[in-house]
Amino acid sequence: MRRLLLLGGLIYGLILVSLTMRSGELLALAIPLVVYLGAGLLYEPQEPQLTVARSLSTDRVSPGTPVTVKLSITNEGPSLECVLLEDLLPSELDLVEGESRVLTPLARGAVVELAYTVSGLRGSYHFSDAQVTASDRFGLFRRRVIISAPGRLLVLPRVLKLQRIPIRPRRTRVYSGLIPARQGGAGVEFFEVRAYQPGDPMRWINWRANARHPGAFFANAFEQERVADVGLILDVRRRSNVWSSGDSLFEHAVEATAALAESFLNDGNRVGLLMYGGFVDWTFPGYGKVQRERILQALARAELGDSLVFDKLEHLPTRLFPAHSQLVLISPLFEDDVQMLVRLRARGYQLLVISPDPVDFEAKRLRRKPSVELAARIARLERGLLIRWLWQAGIRVLDWQVDAPFDQVAHASLGRVPLWYRAVGVSP
Amino acid sequence: MTAKASSASIGLAAGWLALGYALSPWRAWALLFAVIGLLWYVGRRRGWNWVGSICLVSLVGGAAVGLVLGAAAGWMLLGTVAALSAWDLDHFARRLTSVKRVEGERELEREHLRRLLFVAGLGLLLASPPLLVTIDLNFGVAVLLGLLAVLGLSHVIAFLRRESD
Repeated sequence: MRRLLLLGGLIYGLILVSLTMRSGELLALAIPLVVYLGAGLLYEPQEPQLTVARSLSTDRVSPGTPVTVKLSITNEGPSLECVLLEDLLPSELDLVEGESRVLTPLARGAVVELAYTVSGLRGSYHFSDAQVTASDRFGLFRRRVIISAPGRLLVLPRVLKLQRIPIRPRRTRVYSGLIPARQGGAGVEFFEVRAYQPGDPMRWINWRANARHPGAFFANAFEQERVADVGLILDVRRRSNVWSSGDSLFEHAVEATAALAESFLNDGNRVGLLMYGGFVDWTFPGYGKVQRERILQALARAELGDSLVFDKLEHLPTRLFPAHSQLVLISPLFEDDVQMLVRLRARGYQLLVISPDPVDFEAKRLRRKPSVELAARIARLERGLLIRWLWQAGIRVLDWQVDAPFDQVAHASLGRVPLWYRAVGVSP
Repeated sequence: MTAKASSASIGLAAGWLALGYALSPWRAWALLFAVIGLLWYVGRRRGWNWVGSICLVSLVGGAAVGLVLGAAAGWMLLGTVAALSAWDLDHFARRLTSVKRVEGERELEREHLRRLLFVAGLGLLLASPPLLVTIDLNFGVAVLLGLLAVLGLSHVIAFLRRESD
């Protein structure tokens, strides 16, 4: 358009000056410019009538995996002399190979294919439109149309394999699994000695007790093992994140959540996911591979958010979780969260907190200065105190320095349930 | 191919205008056009997008001033047509380089040059008679014709702008 205005201005100027000067020669200077403008007008492009089809080599990948995007554009309208086809990429995706723009003439019925490879970090990416700019050869007149060509790419978080994480919620479900159910019956671990009941297997009979109490007949009972309800709560409040040197603490938290979900689902538990932050994003509890996929897709979409309502944990919708079930909170923790966590514990929920350490994360990425070290020391003391409060309330906390891989840390810290915690975990 | 044609057009535009001035009593001004040509060439190499439009206006303005000062009209007209071609090719070359993938690049370039040559030739052909034939019009008729031309052109441009939006 600026070129058109410049050309028009020049023609105007020459005509006006030639009139003022009454000079035919000056007027003649304008003629080549008018002819040029006329040629542009004569070959002005018509409204492009194109159809666009998009295909992706895959629609769900792990971070950094290349995905090939193909765009097939067919001209169903009149021939176009010069067309710039441009696929509007989500800005977070990196173009690895190929081109997402092409300049080409497009005859009636002709097909152009655009193929390129992208990769990206965890996220849900929506391809929406392709932009088509048709112009005459001189580029004076343009017609731009946006053609819808939807597509979606999910870059799922990396899922680490964890060894079994022992949990002891107060209430379990009816199906057999791996969680001790605090009820006698068929199982592996000894639970109690009770009176023999007809039908008990011979090997359950407690001969020692029978010898001590002649006239009565006792049998061992074992602790039943069942599946449980596990609610994962991922903290997506913006203030819970720390950005440093292009690395984000939140991404570590998302990966840890994915690993935990995988581990609990593999044990046969019913797992739900709540993302608490800008709003409440709830993935309804479920079992198995389908639920794994649902949770991973939810985690791929996870974004930090701000909300005055959900700024503190006190609005955590506890009704979403079955009473006395196991809750796992993945959060760097704030001082004002403690009260709510203690309240949850008092209501009978079994709580496990996975806390990526923001102090360590930031301190390691800052320049070493006495002031930074002093600040980090104070922040560590505060955080240590916070974690001790939680332990005292019977809440297990995994203080995770994210430089160490989560699977190793989880195995070392959560692999065995401490004896005192078993005692705390027993219902009154 | 386009880049070479563009460079050649810049040289021809500046050269013809400089020659026109050099052959007139205003010889010293010829140097100015050489400088403008050089600026355009350097600007194009350095990727200054604005330089093409400024130099086109300068060269066409220079040609108009040359006609008023009495320089040979033929050189001025040739210089104007060459400047217009250089401006067009400069833009076309930038369009080609701004996109990494161009389908049928040679064909596009060939077609573009063919049309530009035709338009430049037609422009020269249509502009030549007024340089050779002189028709005396009184002031009123000239103003009327001028107004008609300006009004017509403004209508065309307004229409085109609406259509392009």
